Amino acid sequence: MTRIDVGDGEDARQGLVTLVVTVVEILIDTLEREAVRRMDSGELSDEEIERLGGQLARIEAEIDQLKRDEGVEDGVDDLRGDLDGLVTDAIDQLHEDPGVVSGPGYSVFGGEDE
Amino acid sequence: MTADRSDDRLEDPDAVERPPAGADGAETPEIDEGRYLYCLVRADDDATFDATGVDDEPVSVVTEDGIGAVVHDCDGLYDSSDLEQIKRWLVRHQVTVDEAGEAFGTPVPFQFDTILRGDDDDVRTWLREEYDLLERTLSELAAHWEYRVEVVETEPIGDDRLLEHDDELRDLDRRIDDAGEGTAFLLEKQYDQRIAELRAARRESLTNDLTDRLDDVAREVHALERSPTASLSDDLATGGGSDATDGTTGDGETLCRLTLLAHEDEEGEIGSILEDVASTDGLEVRFTGPWPPYTFTPALGDDDSTDTRPADPNP
Repeated sequence: MTRIDVGDGEDARQGLVTLVVTVVEILIDTLEREAVRRMDSGELSDEEIERLGGQLARIEAEIDQLKRDEGVEDGVDDLRGDLDGLVTDAIDQLHEDPGVVSGPGYSVFGGEDE
Repeated sequence: MTADRSDDRLEDPDAVERPPAGADGAETPEIDEGRYLYCLVRADDDATFDATGVDDEPVSVVTEDGIGAVVHDCDGLYDSSDLEQIKRWLVRHQVTVDEAGEAFGTPVPFQFDTILRGDDDDVRTWLREEYDLLERTLSELAAHWEYRVEVVETEPIGDDRLLEHDDELRDLDRRIDDAGEGTAFLLEKQYDQRIAELRAARRESLTNDLTDRLDDVAREVHALERSPTASLSDDLATGGGSDATDGTTGDGETLCRLTLLAHEDEEGEIGSILEDVASTDGLEVRFTGPWPPYTFTPALGDDDSTDTRPADPNP
C-alpha cells in the first residue's frame, strides 16, 4: 500500500506543499476535462470558451511557477505516479478472484497435524 | 536424514494444509517422515531418476502403475528467514521439475514445499487412490508446455504518425492554429486527450489481435497482470541484482503478458506469430518456454480439482 509521507521538521513543509499541489493539480485536470467536454458539446459560446480556457491556462501557469519556486516538481510527479499505481492496484484487486491464495506457502498431504 | 519410522498413515489424502503466507511459525505442522513432492510424470515401474533437489537432497522417482512421483525424503517443511536460502531452494525445486520433464515428458508440477506424510509406500498408496484424477491430468497435459509471452512497446508511436491517420486530430490541429489563446489552450488539452485515447486503443487492439491469433494454435491463452507481482525470478536470473525487476524497466512499457498452454508441435507456429508482432516498429516480444505447465495444472488435493492455480514458472 502506498503511504503518503510528508516528513517532519524542515521536510514537513515541502512534503505538505507537494501534497497540496498534487491534489490541486488533480482538481485542475478534472476541471480541464470538464471544460473540454463543454466546449465540445456546444454548450458554451466562443467568448465563454476563450475566457474559460484563458483562466485555466493562467491557473496552470501559476501552479507550474509555484512548483518551481518550491522545488517540488519531481515530488509532485512521483506522488501522482504513486497515486496512479494505487488506483491501478485497487482496480486489479476488484478483478482478482478472492479465493486464490498466492504467495509462498506449503502443502502437507496426509496424516494429522501434531 | 533422520528417518524416524512413523505410524502416520494416509488417512485423509485430500487434506491440504495451506495457511496464508507469513502464517504464524508456531502453527506449521510437524512431519516425522515425509516425501517432498516435485512433480508427477509418466513413468514405467522400473524407471529411475537422479537429481539434486531442494537442500541438496537426493531425488528419486516412486512409481505406481505408470505414474511416477518425483520425490525426496524429508522430515520437515522448508522454511527459512533467509531469503537467499529460500531462493536457492526454489531454484532447485524448479530445476528438478525441469529435469524430470526432460527425462519423462511434461511433468505435472507441485508448488514448492508440497509434502506427503509417510514413506514411499504411502506415496504409492496416494498415487493409487488418486489414480483416475492423476492419470487424466497427465494425459491432458501430455506433450503440452507452458509458454510465456510479453509484448513491450519500446518506442511509443509518434504523434506525427497518429496525426497522419486521424481526422479528429488533424481537425484539432487546424483549429488550434486559428484559435485565440484561451481556446487554443483547451483545444490542446483535447488534442492530448485524443492522443492518449488513440495510444490506448492501439495497445488494446494489438493485444486482442495477438491473443486471438495465439488462441488458434494454443489450447489455452491467459492474460496475466501487466507487471509481475513477484520480482524473485528476475533477481535470480540476473544473479541477485535487485534492479530492473519491475514491469516498466525504463526500456519500454509492457503492453501485455500472456501465458499459454500449447502442444510442443505448435512451438514453431507460435514463434512465427510472435515474429510477426516483433517486426512491428517499436514493439519487442519476449518469449520464454517451454515451462512445465505451472499455470495450467489443476490444484490437486483441493476439493475442486478443476481449479487452476497460477504460479510463476520463470526460474
